Amino acid sequence: MTRRVVESTDTGAGVTPRDDVLVVTGLTGPVGQPAIHDVSFSVPRGGIRVVLGAMHSGKSLLLRLILGLQRSLQGRIVIDGTAFDATAPNEEALRRVRRKVGVVFDSSALVSRLTLIENVELPLVEHTHARDGDARSIARELLREVGVHGDGERTPEVVSRLDRRRTALARALILDPVLLLIDEPGHGLDADAAAELDDTLDRLLEHYRCAALICSQEVRYVFRFPDAVSVLAEGSLVDHGNLEQLRHSRNEMVRRLVDRRGAA
Amino acid sequence: MRQASVQAGGTITPETRTSTSIDPGGRFITRGQLALRSAYWLASLLTRRGAERPAPMTAGVLRELDALGVGAVRLVAGSALLVGLITVFQVAYQLAPYGAELLSARAIAWFVAREIGPLVVAMLVVARSAAAIAGEFASMSANGEIDALRAMGLDPVKYLVVPKLGALLVALPALTAIAIVLAIVGGWFGTSVVLGFNTALYLEHLHESLAIRDVGVGLAKSVLFAILIALVAADEGLRVERRVSAIGAAATRAVVFCLLGVLAADTLVNVIVYFIPGLT
Repeated sequence: MTRRVVESTDTGAGVTPRDDVLVVTGLTGPVGQPAIHDVSFSVPRGGIRVVLGAMHSGKSLLLRLILGLQRSLQGRIVIDGTAFDATAPNEEALRRVRRKVGVVFDSSALVSRLTLIENVELPLVEHTHARDGDARSIARELLREVGVHGDGERTPEVVSRLDRRRTALARALILDPVLLLIDEPGHGLDADAAAELDDTLDRLLEHYRCAALICSQEVRYVFRFPDAVSVLAEGSLVDHGNLEQLRHSRNEMVRRLVDRRGAA
Repeated sequence: MRQASVQAGGTITPETRTSTSIDPGGRFITRGQLALRSAYWLASLLTRRGAERPAPMTAGVLRELDALGVGAVRLVAGSALLVGLITVFQVAYQLAPYGAELLSARAIAWFVAREIGPLVVAMLVVARSAAAIAGEFASMSANGEIDALRAMGLDPVKYLVVPKLGALLVALPALTAIAIVLAIVGGWFGTSVVLGFNTALYLEHLHESLAIRDVGVGLAKSVLFAILIALVAADEGLRVERRVSAIGAAATRAVVFCLLGVLAADTLVNVIVYFIPGLT
């Protein structure tokens, strides 16, 4: 697989002169019960960053704060050149930004009353002037591309978890996003299904050339995308860098993690 | 402080897992915003703008009309017949010492159209659907579906609340009309078949006592109840934290507040109507 090169001397500080599609600076939140503390990082255009963290380390919350689904105490976020104050995001700016971002939640979060194909075409029907028939055929094509077989007329409850993940990926990609946010790609999948999904993910990232932020507790994603990794623990970034830098991390937990997987 | 450890499979897991998520979610919209956005989307559905892109909202309204309206016809029809019958017996019993049982026909027409019809239908719809609406939204919330819609830049109010509101705005007045007719039929059964009075007399009393404005007041109430039920149930469902255990609590709260809301609104309308000449 060809991997896109992300600058290896990554500071993780966020404010860089590169063309970054996502810049997070000093993010602390949410309001009321802060569980993310002063997190800063960036994702270059077309690049991939992995955020590695244990369960309850705040990965999902981090994504929610980036998307403005919950308010932050402080922090600034820039998505594809549109900056917003995470403490009081402008609703209109948020709506504009969200159209450029594809999100795959850990639960897939497909709308349960809609069929797979309706789920996929929903952003297209709402955000573009595509005619209903066109939207349907684009969605059908994309579903085939992500590997969902059948006509897509089934509801999410009756399909396998792998198909739900794939459909969520298709839905995230249908507007041709500049940034893909993926929470725990292999969530709830067995080893075979997870491997299949990883292959699909590789293929899609290669094809769509969009930037991606992958949040996961699975160390294998660090080995799949070793160029830019941030390690999250207790809501704070404890280390960042490429795989090689993490192998020599000053943080013992990070070193242990990488070595154990490397030896396996 | 919670320490992380590394498992052989290459997965980091915390040493001690907290039972609750650190990310409870919760309310993303105030009641006022919910009402305003619902009104906006409903208006856009009814105007050309909505008609141009009808797919999700119109389909939603039709689906909900089937679930919330058509599905409730049997319950409402059966209940209305019985309520009409019960009312006739209660009133006739009170009037019997004066030999004026037949006057119960007058009472029933007026009372059913203005009060019992809309109120009983609203109560039945609350019992049948308020918990379902709140439970559905709460489980969508727990499953992250609401967040997914928001993350795609789509307004959950448009996709979830407006179809239910639109459907109830049609269904509740329609069900109320059905209930009024069937309660009067129930009243006829009581007076004519059971108490043995003449059907023509019953119809005559009915005709004399029932005015169009009585039915108008009843239907206007049902529109008010529809708005109230849809918004209160939706609000209770959408405001829950992202926990599965919150679903049942949201459903319970929705029923309680919808019932109280319907009764309070009914009281208010009765007081207002009482003081407006021409409506009583």
